Amino acid sequence: MKKLQHLLESQEHHFVNGGKLEKFYPIYEMLDTFVFTPSDVSKGSVHVRDAIDLKRTMITVVVALAPCILMALYNTGYQANKVIASMVTTPTGWRSDIMLALGLAYNPTDIISNFVHGLLYFLPIFLTTQIAGGACEVIFATVRKHEINEGFLVTGMLYPLTLPATIPLWQVAVGIIFGVVIGKEVFGGTGKNFLNPALTARAFLYFAYPAQISGDKVWTAVDGYSGATALGQAALGGVEKISFSWWDSFIGLVPGSMGETSTLAALIGAVILIASGIGSWRIIVSVFASAAFFAFILNTIGSETNMMFSVTPAWHMVIGGLAFGAVFMATDPVSASMTNLGHWWYGALIGFMTILVRVINPAFPEGIMLAILFANCFAPLIDYFVVQGNIKRRAERVKA
Amino acid sequence: MSNDSTSKTLIVATLLCVICSIVVSSTAVQLKPMQVRNKKLDIKKNLLVTAGLVDDSAEEKQIVEAFKAVETKVVDLETGAYADIDPESYDARKAAKNPKLNYKIPAEKDLANIKSRAKYGKVYLIKDGETVKNFVFPVHGKGLWSTMYGFLVLENDLNTVKGLGFYEHGETPGLGGEVDNPNWKANWNGKKVFNDAMKPVIKVVKGIAEEDAKYKIDGLSGATITSNGVTGLVRYWLSENAFGSFIKKYKAGSI
Amino acid sequence: MSLKKTLFDPLFENNPIALQILGICSALAVTTKLESVLVMCLAVIVVTAFSNLSVSLIRNHVPSSIRIIVMMTIIASLVIVTDQILKAFVYDVAKSMSVYIGLIITNCIVMGRAEAYAMKNGPIMALVDGIGNGIGYSVVLIFVGIFRELFGSGKLLGYNIMTPISEGGWYQPNGMALLSPSAFFLIGIFIWILRTVKKDQVESSN
Repeated sequence: MKKLQHLLESQEHHFVNGGKLEKFYPIYEMLDTFVFTPSDVSKGSVHVRDAIDLKRTMITVVVALAPCILMALYNTGYQANKVIASMVTTPTGWRSDIMLALGLAYNPTDIISNFVHGLLYFLPIFLTTQIAGGACEVIFATVRKHEINEGFLVTGMLYPLTLPATIPLWQVAVGIIFGVVIGKEVFGGTGKNFLNPALTARAFLYFAYPAQISGDKVWTAVDGYSGATALGQAALGGVEKISFSWWDSFIGLVPGSMGETSTLAALIGAVILIASGIGSWRIIVSVFASAAFFAFILNTIGSETNMMFSVTPAWHMVIGGLAFGAVFMATDPVSASMTNLGHWWYGALIGFMTILVRVINPAFPEGIMLAILFANCFAPLIDYFVVQGNIKRRAERVKA
Repeated sequence: MSNDSTSKTLIVATLLCVICSIVVSSTAVQLKPMQVRNKKLDIKKNLLVTAGLVDDSAEEKQIVEAFKAVETKVVDLETGAYADIDPESYDARKAAKNPKLNYKIPAEKDLANIKSRAKYGKVYLIKDGETVKNFVFPVHGKGLWSTMYGFLVLENDLNTVKGLGFYEHGETPGLGGEVDNPNWKANWNGKKVFNDAMKPVIKVVKGIAEEDAKYKIDGLSGATITSNGVTGLVRYWLSENAFGSFIKKYKAGSI
Repeated sequence: MSLKKTLFDPLFENNPIALQILGICSALAVTTKLESVLVMCLAVIVVTAFSNLSVSLIRNHVPSSIRIIVMMTIIASLVIVTDQILKAFVYDVAKSMSVYIGLIITNCIVMGRAEAYAMKNGPIMALVDGIGNGIGYSVVLIFVGIFRELFGSGKLLGYNIMTPISEGGWYQPNGMALLSPSAFFLIGIFIWILRTVKKDQVESSN
């Protein structure tokens, strides 16, 4: 450790003003502060003194994501193994070579095999995200001469979890580049983006390459296998057509985007986020409550032609990406509302829009992604009204 | 005279209106015949392209030449017999909106989701000398976002499909919009529409249809509702409620 | 201002779309194919040029109380005539653009130039200004159109550049490029590039 510190310090003079590698100071700074606590202190007036800085916030989010990632690995492998075990032919390609070399069979009851098989799908997507998105960050930081911060760490974790396992890697790269550049950097970088970059990236893929991110063929990592998600089934035949049990959906053993299937894992993450004070419990509670409320209303109204009306609130909670989105995407402190009262309205808007898109819109089976992006746009407006309301109330009080 | 006086204002306004209306109306009148011809040519071209008689880049001359083999008839959809209406001037799309000339489709029979249709429909007979080679039926129905307008071309057995093509729709590009994709349209060639009981049973399935399934067409991936819309509109226009009665009559030889 | 400056300033220095943010709606609607872009550009150039010319010719006789309605009448007449001509001579393109030719009437650039420039300047300068602004509009539209057609269907002017998978090639068309919002992103990127090169166009932050 000492040696590394020494090495970094001995190289510092190249990167500071006037050094020959001055341009690459952001890269140096990133490595240095990632490994060691910086010795320099804030200059000028600082209002808040707290042990929590951006870095620690982001690391906490990554810890909270751990259950979802583990579940993503396990379930991706489990879904694929389950299908392969029931088929006559065996798969080929580099993944099967590795599976063979490790002596693992495509056995859905073998936990190790499920994890490894899932990892073989998750890892390439994850690495592509890190390389492509990271490169954008470095380029922008270098050109704009600011430091590379850890905002991308979380974006780069969330984004792969929102994708299906079968997505082509070049699309992963195109998506994250769009998300980082258009969703964040054009507005000035981390902290200035009004949209969630991971969701912006996913929304781009959703509209640009719909065939690879929606439909029935993409969810299970087996070539040519067609299996609908619970939401897809419900859209066609209502709640009776869902071929999974409620508990499977809750635990996450169903087809879907890699990280979104498990409501349980998302809830564990929610506990960590709330306990550490990073995620707003108001937003999470508000999203769930409002989604359940509107689902209940629509379910009560009912419809003969639209099968989605028959889906009960309890089912809405566990299918699709509602839980994952509510816990990890809606609570993004930069793009969400800032005020406490605003949190409630913001969450309620997301819940309402999610159910509205899921049930009423015939084209999109899932609504949480669009709902959060929609609410992101309204977050500043919500805050404005909350603040104006406070000012008015206080003015009244002063008068009285 | 001051610019802002009432009389000057009136004079300028009147003069301007007169000049502008002359310019607009004279161009409109002058160009009207060309526009009408273009419009008719466009429909003919779409029809011929679907029937495979000309390709997309066909010139006016080719289209007019090829269209000589096409005989247009107006059919009373209720009885299935030819109606005594001039096909040149009859516009089924306009008639569908005219309460005197349209027919409200009962909800349970409205597979195409169009609510009402014209009482009379056009049928195009593509002839080879005296014998009819192909039948072309104009069809339309709701997809996901829009009403899709197109032509269904049948072989002379009035059961085998020669082609299906849409010339107007507003479906999602890349998903439902793939109804325009030539590869997908090629799927239709050779499929059958009616089962033995003369019921239209052709269907756009979800996913890939089996190789030898004669009533099934590959689905458009990611566009279930557009696919169902195509199934619905083809079935509707071939049903008893639309061209079905004509087809029955024709097969029985009573036309 | 010199003739040359009047003609070329609207291209980059004072672009009606990129700097004044006018005429965005047609930039979204007609830019999926380069062919319709070119027809649209031509139509807009003709309309702005002649509306500027006619307004300038009668500018000394227009009562200020009805000047807006006078300009609207002239612009509307020109647009209808253009629409009729397109329908008569290039029916295919006119059909694919449906109402958007008619909507040139609502294009703020036309009205804006008539009110801001033609009412105060002589006919020749007004004509040149109209052409210049029409071209300025076209520059952005062509930029957007090239990217949308290339990425959305792998073609330019209908010719395959990158053969799409559906026609046996390798290119996976980007569906986003066929949807209107993509034009927003492209116009944004155009403005971004323009303001990186010409720093004086950057608005001061408030």
